Amino acid sequence: MEIFNSESKKIISDPLSINNPISLQVLGICSALAVTIRLDQAIIMTIAVIFVLCSSNVILSALRNFIPNRVRIVVMLSIIASLVTVVDQVLQAYLYDMSKQLSVFVGLIITNCIIMGRAEAFALKHGPSKAFLDGLGNGLGYGMIIIIVSLFRELFGAGTITLPDGGVGYVLFSIPEAWYAAGYENIGLLVLSPGAFFILGLVIWTQRELFGIEEGE
Amino acid sequence: MHSNNYTLAFVFIITVVLGTILSFTKENLRELQEYNLKADMKKNILRSLDFEESENELWSNEVVEKIFNENVQAFCVDTSGNVVDCIIEEVDTERNLEVLPVYLKVIDNKTEGIAIPIAGKGLWSTVFGYIALESDTDTVLGIQFYKHGETPGLGGEVDKAWFTNNFIGKKIRDNSGDVIGVEVLKGKVDNSKASAIHQVDGISGATVTSKGVTVFLKDDLGRYENYLNKVRADGNI
Repeated sequence: MEIFNSESKKIISDPLSINNPISLQVLGICSALAVTIRLDQAIIMTIAVIFVLCSSNVILSALRNFIPNRVRIVVMLSIIASLVTVVDQVLQAYLYDMSKQLSVFVGLIITNCIIMGRAEAFALKHGPSKAFLDGLGNGLGYGMIIIIVSLFRELFGAGTITLPDGGVGYVLFSIPEAWYAAGYENIGLLVLSPGAFFILGLVIWTQRELFGIEEGE
Repeated sequence: MHSNNYTLAFVFIITVVLGTILSFTKENLRELQEYNLKADMKKNILRSLDFEESENELWSNEVVEKIFNENVQAFCVDTSGNVVDCIIEEVDTERNLEVLPVYLKVIDNKTEGIAIPIAGKGLWSTVFGYIALESDTDTVLGIQFYKHGETPGLGGEVDKAWFTNNFIGKKIRDNSGDVIGVEVLKGKVDNSKASAIHQVDGISGATVTSKGVTVFLKDDLGRYENYLNKVRADGNI
């Protein structure tokens, strides 16, 4: 088992840096805008996406020689949809408050392009262990971006930083009352979806600058 | 290229396997999910009845259950105010307009509040909540909205404390004692006017949601009018 040879490392690290699914491929934007209002939502969403992405990649990769080519999209979709439904049901049973906040966006993981994209582009062409690493890498790449975005949105939009716990969330930090008294105000725009666009745009710009990626040819 | 029979067989097997996994998951989690839903409903009733969650006793499902069982009496009435049989958790408060659930806050044998479910159209969605009255059946003790699909930041503000706190202390009956509800204004309440006691500040950018709340508050409270009058006339429940 050479699970951590250079190729495997590349599979995992590329989506975190030069081939990030959100900031470089611009996939999965819908949920990146929707669930980044609070940090705890983004964290739970990241865990859910990593679970679905890894499982669907592994299952599809294991079945890749048996799936008839003509119906592969249908098979992929039904497997992904089942996994997402399981996640949704588990959240409703064990993390009820969180599932209420995430509402439809858990179900919408099905339509997250990253998952179908990785299944079609990677899992159907590689073995299960590589497919797992690819799922993990892309899940972490997705999570990294939405956690950064939600950190900015929550801190400057609502003035708090919330971590997930069993209930309505544990407030790790909130801007002291004295600041508000001194004239500090939260930026209401950041709580709304357009605020996410601005932050996401800045993140994409920063990341492309950092890795020297340019559009074109 | 696989044959048609192979394709059919493959899809059939996949469907059966996935179906089994899904129904197995649902069956195993059903009880927990229903318990969560009920606890959430009770939590909102308690909030509207002015119970407060304290720092040292956070409202886990068990705590909610305990407070609810000790302090709240739940039953149903009909539109003329008589108590009727019902399974209170299964009453559809949006559609069933004949059987009306009532939740009484009873502390030391004294009724301190009456909570009733409210529901109606906002802009995009049906808004669900509870309004609680003091035992004079006139003064608002509290209001809670727990489920809606209004625009976050605009109509979605209905469930925020700054909005719901404005209802506390308002009167739902006019001078002749008729139930008129509480009106959500467009803009701010002018406290110098006599009508201010029946009005609360509106949500800017959410005119339709505000109007919706005004309308369904009046309608829903109107359905309970006979029952509320009885309570008022008897002086007790």
